Amino acid sequence: MDSLSLSRVWMMRALYMWLALLILFFHLLPLNTLPSRWAPPDLLIALTFAWVVRRPDYVPTLSVAVVMLVADLLLQRPPGLLAALVVGARAYLRPTSAGGREVGFLSEWATVSFVLVAVAVLNRSILGITAVQQAPLWLAVIQLVLTIAIYPLVAWLSQTVCGVRKLAPSDADALGGRA
Amino acid sequence: MANDRSQREDYTAPLRRLLLGVVLLCLLGIFLVWRIDSPRVERFRAQVVDKVVPSMDWAMVPVTATVNLIRDFQSYQRLSDQNRELRSELRQMRAWKEAALQLEQENARLLDLNNVRLDPRLTYVTGVVMADSGSPFRQSVLLNVGARDGIVDGWATMDGIGVVGRISGVGQNTSRVILLTDASSAIPATIQPSGQTALVAGDNTAAPAIDFLENRELVRPGDRVITSGDGGVFPAGLLIGQVAQDPGGRLRVRLSADYERLEFLRVLRHHGTAPITDPGSLVTPDGPVTINQRQEEAADG
Repeated sequence: MDSLSLSRVWMMRALYMWLALLILFFHLLPLNTLPSRWAPPDLLIALTFAWVVRRPDYVPTLSVAVVMLVADLLLQRPPGLLAALVVGARAYLRPTSAGGREVGFLSEWATVSFVLVAVAVLNRSILGITAVQQAPLWLAVIQLVLTIAIYPLVAWLSQTVCGVRKLAPSDADALGGRA
Repeated sequence: MANDRSQREDYTAPLRRLLLGVVLLCLLGIFLVWRIDSPRVERFRAQVVDKVVPSMDWAMVPVTATVNLIRDFQSYQRLSDQNRELRSELRQMRAWKEAALQLEQENARLLDLNNVRLDPRLTYVTGVVMADSGSPFRQSVLLNVGARDGIVDGWATMDGIGVVGRISGVGQNTSRVILLTDASSAIPATIQPSGQTALVAGDNTAAPAIDFLENRELVRPGDRVITSGDGGVFPAGLLIGQVAQDPGGRLRVRLSADYERLEFLRVLRHHGTAPITDPGSLVTPDGPVTINQRQEEAADG
């Protein structure tokens, strides 16, 4: 199928929402009610970033905002803060000129790691400024490191299974302002 | 073509930036409103959870059951070990059962002697755990009973044996239980037999810490920790667990409730303890005289 057709784009937008819901679903399963010594990676953010870097038109600002806000509400986080940070990170990560420059995966990984760290630091400092009770630091650090570590896997899976690939420069021309 | 594209970008870019700005403002606004007026937003959160989670329930129950089945299957590998352990435990339990029976008879006799009437208003609603908090940083579970069943914020929740947590956030069909292990949970408790009062404060570990203990020397590992009923939040006398000492020398509570498998929880209906408002009155032949009356009389005379 043509990866640029409008129906395909809308299908992938729906797929993103559906994947996000699936991740939330597995988060909410009452499997472990004991406090754990480690924190699993934040798959939702990794997925969002992997898709934004590849095809920002599949994850528009509004759907990221809705998904992250619902996640904030369902996962008992302060509502809105992490969502705002991830939406900001989306704007930062979005390729400025679609397909303009070809970057290797390592530099992409480095950029995403930097953004992940920035989001975590900003999140903690804003929570600190507003005097909100925070999760233990070591848990947050474990989660951050694991998220960075799992990012290549998430990116690879979205590329091979979901077919979220970067555009070639010629496609980018055809896509025009929609991206 | 290239010209056309740059023109299109010319008008979409500011629009996109405007949308981004509006979305960011909205989200940060929600956060600020939550920070300023938390109860209202938390009520909204409870309503969202109330709408979303029950609609996922049809899928959650079978998936949870399957995962638990696989876990149980893994435990078959350790079957013989477990069997041996269980046998030795059973032997110990027989001894305990004997002791418990004797104590039960003694207790019944003593209650009879004292003509004790147990609080008839302490009834409970049983709910099923639907979901957990979903985050490693928060310890809570979602029950399938809510405002429809008369659940009220702040009621105590137990499994068959010990206190599990308190209700915080009630939707129409669901309610959230903040577990004792959550970092925001603090429960006034009494440690028996010394009668010391303390606060059982969760810190995201399996065993909550004991805070604000007046005299540490009187408390030993193994002592029973029960709710004290201070503050009128919980009914008094519910079992929380036993005192234990961690390697750092800090006193903690080993919880009696089985936190590994929280499935059915009891929510205790609690109508509050009667507050004592006046400092007591003098009984005279004309009836009780309050202190205020006496002061007025003193002013007249």
